Amino acid sequence: MSTSKNKRLRIYFTGVGGQGTLTATKLLADAALEAGLDVVAGEVHGMAQRGGVVESVLMLGGWRSPRLDLGEADVLLGFEPLETLRGLPYLKPGGAIFSSSDALPPLSVSLGQAAYPGMTHIKAQAQQIAGICRFMPCRSLGQQAGSVQSGNTVLLSAVCASGILPFGTEALEAAIRNTLPSRLQDVNLKALELGLSI
Amino acid sequence: MGGNTLLHGAGGERHLLLGNEAIVRGALEAGVQMVSCYPGTPSSEVPDTFARLAGEGTFRLEYSVNEKVAMEIAAGGALAGAKSLVTMKHVGLNVAADPLFTAAYTGLPGGLVVLSADDPGCHSSQNEQDNRYFARAASLPCFEPASAQEAKDMTCAAFELARRLQQPVLLRTTTRVSHVRGPVLFGDLPDEPSSVPFIREPGRFVPVPAVARRRHAALNTQMEEARKAAEASPFNQEREPAAPCRLGVIASSVARDYLADALVEGGWEDRVRVLELGMTWPLPLDKIGNFLRKCDRILVLEEGEPLLEESICVLAQRLGLKLEVQGKDRVLTNQGEYSVPLVMQRLAAWLETECPVHPVHTPEPDLPGRPPNLCAGCAHRAVYFAVRRVFGDDACYSSDIGCYTLGLLPPLRMADFLLCMGSSISAGSGFARASGKPVVGFIGDSTFFHSGMTGLANALFNKHDLLLVILDNDTTAMTGHQPNPGMVQEALGESGNHLDIESAVRGLGVTQCVKVKAYNLKAVTRALEEMKSKSGVRVIIAEEPCVLYARRRLKKAQAQVATVVQQGAEAQRCLEELACPAFCRKDGNIAVDETLCTGCMLCLQVAPNAFKAKKR
Repeated sequence: MSTSKNKRLRIYFTGVGGQGTLTATKLLADAALEAGLDVVAGEVHGMAQRGGVVESVLMLGGWRSPRLDLGEADVLLGFEPLETLRGLPYLKPGGAIFSSSDALPPLSVSLGQAAYPGMTHIKAQAQQIAGICRFMPCRSLGQQAGSVQSGNTVLLSAVCASGILPFGTEALEAAIRNTLPSRLQDVNLKALELGLSI
Repeated sequence: MGGNTLLHGAGGERHLLLGNEAIVRGALEAGVQMVSCYPGTPSSEVPDTFARLAGEGTFRLEYSVNEKVAMEIAAGGALAGAKSLVTMKHVGLNVAADPLFTAAYTGLPGGLVVLSADDPGCHSSQNEQDNRYFARAASLPCFEPASAQEAKDMTCAAFELARRLQQPVLLRTTTRVSHVRGPVLFGDLPDEPSSVPFIREPGRFVPVPAVARRRHAALNTQMEEARKAAEASPFNQEREPAAPCRLGVIASSVARDYLADALVEGGWEDRVRVLELGMTWPLPLDKIGNFLRKCDRILVLEEGEPLLEESICVLAQRLGLKLEVQGKDRVLTNQGEYSVPLVMQRLAAWLETECPVHPVHTPEPDLPGRPPNLCAGCAHRAVYFAVRRVFGDDACYSSDIGCYTLGLLPPLRMADFLLCMGSSISAGSGFARASGKPVVGFIGDSTFFHSGMTGLANALFNKHDLLLVILDNDTTAMTGHQPNPGMVQEALGESGNHLDIESAVRGLGVTQCVKVKAYNLKAVTRALEEMKSKSGVRVIIAEEPCVLYARRRLKKAQAQVATVVQQGAEAQRCLEELACPAFCRKDGNIAVDETLCTGCMLCLQVAPNAFKAKKR
């Protein structure tokens, strides 16, 4: 994948309500803006209560549409493995997946009405479509950094460090320093470090 | 986006903003003086952002009790000479339509901008009505941004026009535009907002029939001025292809974005000429006419109803142009949203060319879903559980707009019909009269003040038979905890006065009224059983603050959580009947997720042998 600044790139984010998916989208958008790229992001608020699926998109390099359809994403960022699996059709075959491997089972699973797909199955499905596929325990890494939510930053850091985006972790670091409230900066900078070492 | 940046950021700065935040910045650059609203997705971040700035700004903000009131507050402000903004979601404009139609007749010297945030695709709404109809029906100049930058710029332009023509102007967004995030180049802030002094002129501002007839003519004159503004507007832009070409595409709102990306993706940029319309009412007929003359075939791209398409057909006919106009078809319908692939598919067919196809990975069937659910510890669950136990399937349940609509889902199944804000009481009354069945209505505190009180007055006046349960959680929970008159005084602070729901209910004349604590299952059940045995208008007020609100704003949290002490049928039944998201399974056993449990202790009351309280 080219890392040229003119590369048009579309990123699909998916997670569970309350996880901080939208905050992570904004942070990566800010990082892209720091890197001097054209940015448009899209999100849908509202009826997705805590526990519902939250999706958002980030387009780099001159897109205008704040919306992404099936088979269009170059990168899928999944903050929860079941949602990564559900979001797979959004990925362009050969695209990149960065996902948390820490499950948050939905209520139907707790009620015993449905089964949570196994991680082996999720990874196999992801590998079938993706060119690059990385799973990491974001929740526990986030806890290690100081808060569960910062696990999202671990994932962002890993994707920035991988070289598939037209910017690296310096832009992410600048975005953390420039846009996050000061009380959240240390833990997120720590999470960024953790993402580099995975 | 930090409030300081929006309020003090200098012209020339560039920041990443949500579409709704960009509208706030635009209003500040325009020198807005009055803001009123009723919250509703996808509009809510506009007033909520103003609320964060309110301590420092020079504008006045209010959360009104409903959209009609908000419209009248803003119109009153604009009559008094203030630049005013009123915000609401699309269905809110139905509520606010009455004052708006007549405000267009009288005109408003200070200038009024009306934000209507439409929701194609019904992401969080009961319908996907196209509010561009209101621009046509009420004669409102209309702007439709398609990016965060345009959301700011068009807000400025809307205020400029509203002040200059003294006419209310519609700023119409859709969910995608309200919630787009993009870089916004700031303009300068004004030195000091300026008011227009009010001059008494009953012959204009009091529309008795003789006045109204004259004002209709005046409105038509002003709309002709607005059309001239649309002809010259930088938001209505034509793009010439490199090579001569007689195929034209006309697009508005977010369809402009899909078109731009589709043309790049398809490699068709030089095959069509494009007219993008950002100021969409009144239509720039000269500009469109000139465009049509350069084309043999026209494709119109607009989400929602075929309004542009039909106007363009009429225009072509009037101009005597023989050209083919296409728009809505089986691919691009009046339902839901457009997208880049849909627009590409449509363009390809229209251009009679191949559409590049992306291979798409087949979705895995039957994955466990995550439907929206009442939060762990939500007091609505407690009340619904009790109602189901007392009334079962014998009663019909008349629901209303709010978080509690989610009671629709199993296992609670507490909604049989719903129309709009406040309909629980009146539609429930009508249903009960026609069917003879017992009806239980549910309404929240904010919705009660919005439009429940009039329905309740009617129910009493017309001797209806209805049990109304007011689910009073102290806040407007669904849209993000905005203030309403039911909010406790400590939370309202200096900003407003708390109104007591029970006094309002009794004041209207309800004599059969009980107030209970929602988490007290015994008390709620007793109240329900007592009311079940009676007839006429009956009201139960079930009080308990929204759990999220209590934790985040009131900083109240329970010291104890529930824990499972006995596995088995009782625990399993409780799990199935309550479906609280805090229930989980650990190694096959039923357990309570302590990070989610709020300590409401409903499960202890439902299954006392299975659950016990323990320190967090």
